[in-house]
Amino acid sequence: MTPTTIRRINWMGGAFTILTVLIAVLWAFPIYWGIISSLKPENEVVRPYIELWPDTLTFEHYWFALTQTQIGKWYINSIATSVGVTVLTVSTSLFAGYAISQLRFPGRRVLWWLILASFMVPTQVLIINHFVLMANMSLLNSWAGIILPQLIHPVIVIVFKQFFDQVPKDFREAAAMDNASEWAVLFKIYIPMNWGVITALSIVTFIWAWNAFLWPFLAVTKTEMMTITVGITQVFDAFGVYYARQLSAAVLAGFPVALVYLVFQRRVTQAITLSAGIKG
Amino acid sequence: MADISLDTVSKSFGGIKVIDGISLEMKSGEFVVFLGPSGSGKSTLLRMIAGLETIDGGALTIDGKRSEHLAPGQREVAMVFQNYALYPHMTVRGNMAFGLKNIGMDKSEIDKRVEDAARILEMDALLDRRPAQLSGGQRQRVAIGRAIVKEPAAFLFDEPLSNLDAALRVRTRVELAELHQRMQSTMIYVTHDQTEAMTLADRIVVLNNCRIEQVGTPMDVYLYPATRFVAGFVGSPGMNFLNAELKGSGTDQCVTLGDGSRIALEIDVPAGPYDLGIRPEAVRVSAAPAATTGKAAVVERLGDRTLIHLHLEDGTELTALDSGRSNVVSGDAVHLEFDTSQLHLFDAEGIAHHAK
Repeated sequence: MTPTTIRRINWMGGAFTILTVLIAVLWAFPIYWGIISSLKPENEVVRPYIELWPDTLTFEHYWFALTQTQIGKWYINSIATSVGVTVLTVSTSLFAGYAISQLRFPGRRVLWWLILASFMVPTQVLIINHFVLMANMSLLNSWAGIILPQLIHPVIVIVFKQFFDQVPKDFREAAAMDNASEWAVLFKIYIPMNWGVITALSIVTFIWAWNAFLWPFLAVTKTEMMTITVGITQVFDAFGVYYARQLSAAVLAGFPVALVYLVFQRRVTQAITLSAGIKG
Repeated sequence: MADISLDTVSKSFGGIKVIDGISLEMKSGEFVVFLGPSGSGKSTLLRMIAGLETIDGGALTIDGKRSEHLAPGQREVAMVFQNYALYPHMTVRGNMAFGLKNIGMDKSEIDKRVEDAARILEMDALLDRRPAQLSGGQRQRVAIGRAIVKEPAAFLFDEPLSNLDAALRVRTRVELAELHQRMQSTMIYVTHDQTEAMTLADRIVVLNNCRIEQVGTPMDVYLYPATRFVAGFVGSPGMNFLNAELKGSGTDQCVTLGDGSRIALEIDVPAGPYDLGIRPEAVRVSAAPAATTGKAAVVERLGDRTLIHLHLEDGTELTALDSGRSNVVSGDAVHLEFDTSQLHLFDAEGIAHHAK
């Protein structure tokens, strides 16, 4: 390689770095803007020009959101429903994925095609049915009502099936020689061997559930039963257009997800890649 | 220790028959090797004994108990897999204890068995390691250990040495032989490596095309192959096959080779065309003119012996074995003598007839 080519590659690399940094800044700017605005007095927020740093730094909106709204209850609702959705979705998908991948039973192929086909149906199409069903079951304004319709994630079943497919069949046979029951094969061999993907899918499901808006918005009308994403709308409704207050509530709503993301960054990226690969 | 008996067992995958009515008796404490090329059905037969493949027809008896309908774990056999199949998330101890825990054995008994097996296999220090922290040879020992702790009626080995390097393979082979001598267990061992088969087996079962070609001791199989396939498959370098015409009868028999040379022999078959089989060590280089003459094409010096690949006058290829200090070089005309007691004639069906 001649010195000229090395230099050219360095230039290319430099230009690429600058471009990616610029895109990152562009992408992150609304988040920065949201956080900064939530720390400004309302009159500064509505000024018609861009101020990158507040003249007066204030936490009054956070104080308001934390003391004058039902944000505590919304947090509890969000945590309970997100954990519920995560545990139920991951465990049922894991069983389904294992059954389709490893067990031989009549209708297995049909079941698999049904799961694949359910991809084609967007959640929004089902939302009225879900609403009517939950209303008939008197589950509106309850955690169960928020959780149940959110348990359908074919993509997670598919990812689990693919991972279980990849476990060499020698292990299953060794387990059979070792007198292991089907439960033991699943819980002592397949689950521990796929712990990484289970964690990754749990985190990503938790984030999906936490960020869910449309269904919880429809399923809950009582303020004290709202999840935090729905609760933010109440800050707006009750007090008119207070951008800073609304933004402070939004920041508080996003905080746990950001924390989960930061702690489990690698796993989240892995899970998103896995599910994105499937969604194609 | 247990007798294992197969009675006309068969197996098909889809419409393709992979085991065709095989019957075989294996005695308690015997080391039986299933030998054959890829696709001969040897691994399938082992897996049928293990219970990992169903038996479509026929009967399997292990230790006097009909076993073809039993689950793998209930057949009292233990298997060592080709890729070891050690559970990667468990320690060596965990791997060995897993099968025992599944049958609800006492922890103290499990610990005792695991430690005994670790001592036998000299891997006491490895018990708390995971498979990823072990070398290929150590993994192989753990796989054997996992089988030993079960104290099974029989051990089944599915090409267990094929993932080891050449030196380790030889060492492990010797260790396996020692293990068998010490434990006196019934062992069934699948391989396509004839050296493993010859060195380990009490009896070799040569399989080809879904059926048994020959069952016998290693030397029986080597010296008196039942078929042309066995003759060609067992032995390295392989047996020479030459077109030959048997003439005469009684004490006046001889075969004529393609180059016109004649070899006198005594054999109980009618005159006619045959394939003549002779192992390279039965073709000797002679200083004086002998049965025939060939031209050395390639000379391979292996140190302790020399392989001479020759062409006879009619172009027939032949391999002769000479001493390590052979003076033959390629291009030489070489006089060849045949050990007539080691000649075999194979008829049109491939059935062997051995010279007296």
